[in-house]
Amino acid sequence: MINYVLRRALMALLVALTVSFGTFALFYFATDPAQTIAGEDAPQEMVDAIREQYGFDRPVSVQYVDWLGSVLQGDFGQSYFWKQPVVELIQEHAKVTIMLALLALVVTVVIALPLGISAALRPNSWVDRFALTTAVSAQAIPNFWLGLMLIILLAVTFPIFPVSGDSSWRHYVLPAFVLGTSSVPAVMRLTRTGLLDVLGSDYIRTARAKGFTGYRLILRQALRNALLPIVSVLAVQLGHKLGGSIVTESVFSMNGLGRLAVESIFNSDIPTVQSLILLFVLTFVLLTLAADLINAWLDPRIRMG
Amino acid sequence: MTIRYPVRVRAFLVGMMVSLLPLSASAGPSDDTLVVAFSKALTTVDRLYSIQREGLILSRLTDDGLFFVDPDTLEFEPLAAASYTWVSDTRLDITLRDNVRFHDGGRLSADDVVYTFRWVLNKDSDTSRGAVIRGWLDSVEKLGPLKVRFNLKMPYPMALRDMAISIPLRKSGTYDDPRGGDQPLNGIGPYRVKQFDVGRRIVLERFEDYYPDSPKAGARIRNMVFRVIPDEGTQQAELLSGGIDLMMDVPPDVADNVSALPGVERLEGNDIRIGYLTLDAAGYADPDSPMTHLKVRQAINHAINREAISRYLVRGSARAIPYACHPRQFGCQADGPRYPYDPEKARQLLAEAGYPEGFSLKLWAYREKIIAEAIVSDLKAVGLDVDLRYVKLNVFSKMRNDHRMGAFFASYGSGGTADASASTGVHFTANSNRNYSGDEALSKTVLAAERTIDRDERRRLYREALNRIAEQAYWVPLFSYSQNYLLTPALSLPVSEDGVPRLWQAAWRQ
Amino acid sequence: MTITESVGGNELTSEAEREQAQLGLTPGQVAIKRARRHPGLLVGFGILLVMALFAVLAPWLAPHDPYLQNLSLRLLPPAWVEGGQWSHLLGTDHLGRDYLSRIIYGARISMMIGIGAATIGAIIGVTLGVIAGYFGGWLDQAVNFLVTCQLAVPSLLLIMALVFVIGQSITVVIFVIGATHWVFYLVVTRSATLRIRELDFVAAASAMGCSRLQIAVKEILPNLLNQILVIFTLEVAVAILNEATLSFLGLGVPSPTPSWGLMIAEGKTAMFFQPWLVILPGIALFVLVIAINLLGDGVRDVTVTNRRS
Repeated sequence: MINYVLRRALMALLVALTVSFGTFALFYFATDPAQTIAGEDAPQEMVDAIREQYGFDRPVSVQYVDWLGSVLQGDFGQSYFWKQPVVELIQEHAKVTIMLALLALVVTVVIALPLGISAALRPNSWVDRFALTTAVSAQAIPNFWLGLMLIILLAVTFPIFPVSGDSSWRHYVLPAFVLGTSSVPAVMRLTRTGLLDVLGSDYIRTARAKGFTGYRLILRQALRNALLPIVSVLAVQLGHKLGGSIVTESVFSMNGLGRLAVESIFNSDIPTVQSLILLFVLTFVLLTLAADLINAWLDPRIRMG
Repeated sequence: MTIRYPVRVRAFLVGMMVSLLPLSASAGPSDDTLVVAFSKALTTVDRLYSIQREGLILSRLTDDGLFFVDPDTLEFEPLAAASYTWVSDTRLDITLRDNVRFHDGGRLSADDVVYTFRWVLNKDSDTSRGAVIRGWLDSVEKLGPLKVRFNLKMPYPMALRDMAISIPLRKSGTYDDPRGGDQPLNGIGPYRVKQFDVGRRIVLERFEDYYPDSPKAGARIRNMVFRVIPDEGTQQAELLSGGIDLMMDVPPDVADNVSALPGVERLEGNDIRIGYLTLDAAGYADPDSPMTHLKVRQAINHAINREAISRYLVRGSARAIPYACHPRQFGCQADGPRYPYDPEKARQLLAEAGYPEGFSLKLWAYREKIIAEAIVSDLKAVGLDVDLRYVKLNVFSKMRNDHRMGAFFASYGSGGTADASASTGVHFTANSNRNYSGDEALSKTVLAAERTIDRDERRRLYREALNRIAEQAYWVPLFSYSQNYLLTPALSLPVSEDGVPRLWQAAWRQ
Repeated sequence: MTITESVGGNELTSEAEREQAQLGLTPGQVAIKRARRHPGLLVGFGILLVMALFAVLAPWLAPHDPYLQNLSLRLLPPAWVEGGQWSHLLGTDHLGRDYLSRIIYGARISMMIGIGAATIGAIIGVTLGVIAGYFGGWLDQAVNFLVTCQLAVPSLLLIMALVFVIGQSITVVIFVIGATHWVFYLVVTRSATLRIRELDFVAAASAMGCSRLQIAVKEILPNLLNQILVIFTLEVAVAILNEATLSFLGLGVPSPTPSWGLMIAEGKTAMFFQPWLVILPGIALFVLVIAINLLGDGVRDVTVTNRRS
């Protein structure tokens, strides 16, 4: 068990190093952070001075080792663009994204689980067909477009929610819905098939024969078993939401991590990009690990290995 | 062009926008507070450490320099300075006004001026304009309690400009404490910084001890708040709901749309910014580039319909420009060849240059995508196979500075300076990364003009340089920009000639 | 490896095979017979066929050149709205280009990128899957590492960063989307290869002196065709949505290419005032993707198993 966790950690470390060096080198060769820092109209003297001041004129390997060294000492550096410690910057933006991702997860669960369960209880009925149609449509709607349509409909035509921003709970309703629906098809289908599998299995048939009836049986036994794969999918979906919020955040102009990531790429804000990538890799690894552990806890038959 | 909306749509829009946001900041005449939207956050309110446009706008309220840009004439006039004399071409003596006070109550003296400029000259101070100032300023000395002498490294006619635009005066010892005092900024401008929440808002208050004989004296509005609202849609909604009073840098289409709604007024003003194409005449990116042929460059000049682009896309006071400078700039008087829109001529020139079938070309751009697309479309129409590379500034400048572009669409604001030196120097001197002409003689002319004080001689040199650029078609000068403001009808704001709003003259309509 | 376990797993002896055995039909005949009874598949196929026709025949069907600008006719509304013109049925965009023509040409771009990216993803995923599954050992470990790297960074962010630094073009978009969407192919191919490797006919081929590579390509791949086809269809849809999203964020295909995502992005600034600029390309996108998904789901249903899921 400890061995397993250690191996995962080592893997995570390797992944983080590979990815972070990759991005570092990409930015080094393709962009000029000095000009972004100086501004578009900045004369050459200013740009050169900044290049020297930040050390952009050094070879890529030196700069990377330098950065890595600071990170290992817990110093994630200053954002080139915001002139603010990266850690502070990420903390500020993380609030929005975590809130958004959790709300979106709630939306997913609230829509997908009941749909999936009722579809599985009455396969090929109108409920099932409705669930399937919902899934197929939700899968086909471009996320950003759904966001724009909701803005036009529910923020402009019927001004119920604000157009954009993140300053009150009302700002989170539409984005959470948009982000949440993107995971509905996957979770719904999984719930349905998982439950169908379990309902068809021997021990449920036995339980039924023994006289348990209807919903109690389903909720107690079948759901518990069907839950297994759903938990791991939800964990992975949560990770995806942290990343998938890029689109939602830009549509609704929310100052979350996704938007920060995009802006940092656009501005060659390398310290911020690097720290975000480390954060994303870490989140992914932790979430999948958590999913495995929860699975193991729910179902002792699964062995870690 | 005007766009009409069905009445129903208008009612919807007004309804939605007004009911949309809680009135987080009260704005308007009732409490004498002007609320202005900033699209980008300022990281500091100290102009010495910021080169953002927002910083420039703010600094014109909170700071005074020795000189300032007169918003009507665009000349450089004394501000904190009472008078000045050029003792020689490289020696400038300045006498200060005797009634200038810092926001903390202290009086401005020669010591403060010397301190400010020595701080900027000091390499370790890392001020944003330090490198530029060090290029021409050798030393500063105190001649008396209100008298200062500047010793220049060379004759530099733009000295007053740099002092006006880049160097606000600081009290002696301001930067001794690395953490700064309680006060975010201790300037001498007509407004003082009352509160500065990084990334959110900046609150200013009228400075009552401002020197009354200043050309900027007589501010009418007591409080100003600058709110950071990055999203344009949110800015529009806030404007319609009364959360803000003024939006700046509004794209023309948005200005058209929003100003068609009741409760919003639109102002339009000039901007010193010009748009242009640079062609790789020197063949830096590719020695065999078709751009190295004069006729190809002339053909491209003829191919682009600048009149249509400025009339329909840039709009307002925007005009097509024939030469590589803004018509409002000193020295922008040339008589070299002009290239009217003539696609037939363009095709013919391409054929003469040996490209009857055209050639393929990457056009790089980083702003105003619509305009870049329109240019691409014009070039395609004369038979060129154009691939638009629309990228972000950091990629763009890397490619440009490495001399890897065959042609690019860019713009230059000249820092609001109404003098041809501000843009020709940056674009045509030999050591500039933006220079794709490879023309040594041109570079010499431009440099000579930058080091000449005599106005007639400077005019002659710029005429020579601009004519050379036009003859060789190093550029396709495109158009001058215009500035669009959206504001509440209760506000009166005189527009300035350089596109930087002069908020100290804002007032409420009675 | 959890990913493999949760995504793969699929019965080779399916009901389709049983049905086939009962009726004495070839697998293809069975599939076609079942396809006729599958409404989703038929609808999806029908829509797709129409859109593909539009894409192929765009130069003849589009009323105008999609690149032709007319600055004096900017932002015309659709013909049925006040101020519209019948010569521009769906109005014009901010450069006065005919919107209907751009939407028709947009189908080309979407389909080209969808199919191109899914093909590249398939090539990468299948190759890596066969290698990992067949050879195992450190090669399997290495592939596993690649998968983890790929999954650990949000794929959209990765794609954006890559397109951003490499530069925008249709080819780059196709390759980058393809290069970040191969995990499903890999997982399926790898687990299937693992199972097939143990089967008799592979051992027999091996005994007959075929090289390992020959075995992998000639014996294993044909068995996987159905599954790969289903994944391929769904990945086409994913790639199309990805391209639209990328273009919407300004990092997809370059202007002035008529991409639906790009058109939505360009219309966004005027969304409250000229909403058709955003609504119309979105509808086109939705219809195309839903058709592909219906087709993909249908193909899976008729080829693999009787169960709808």
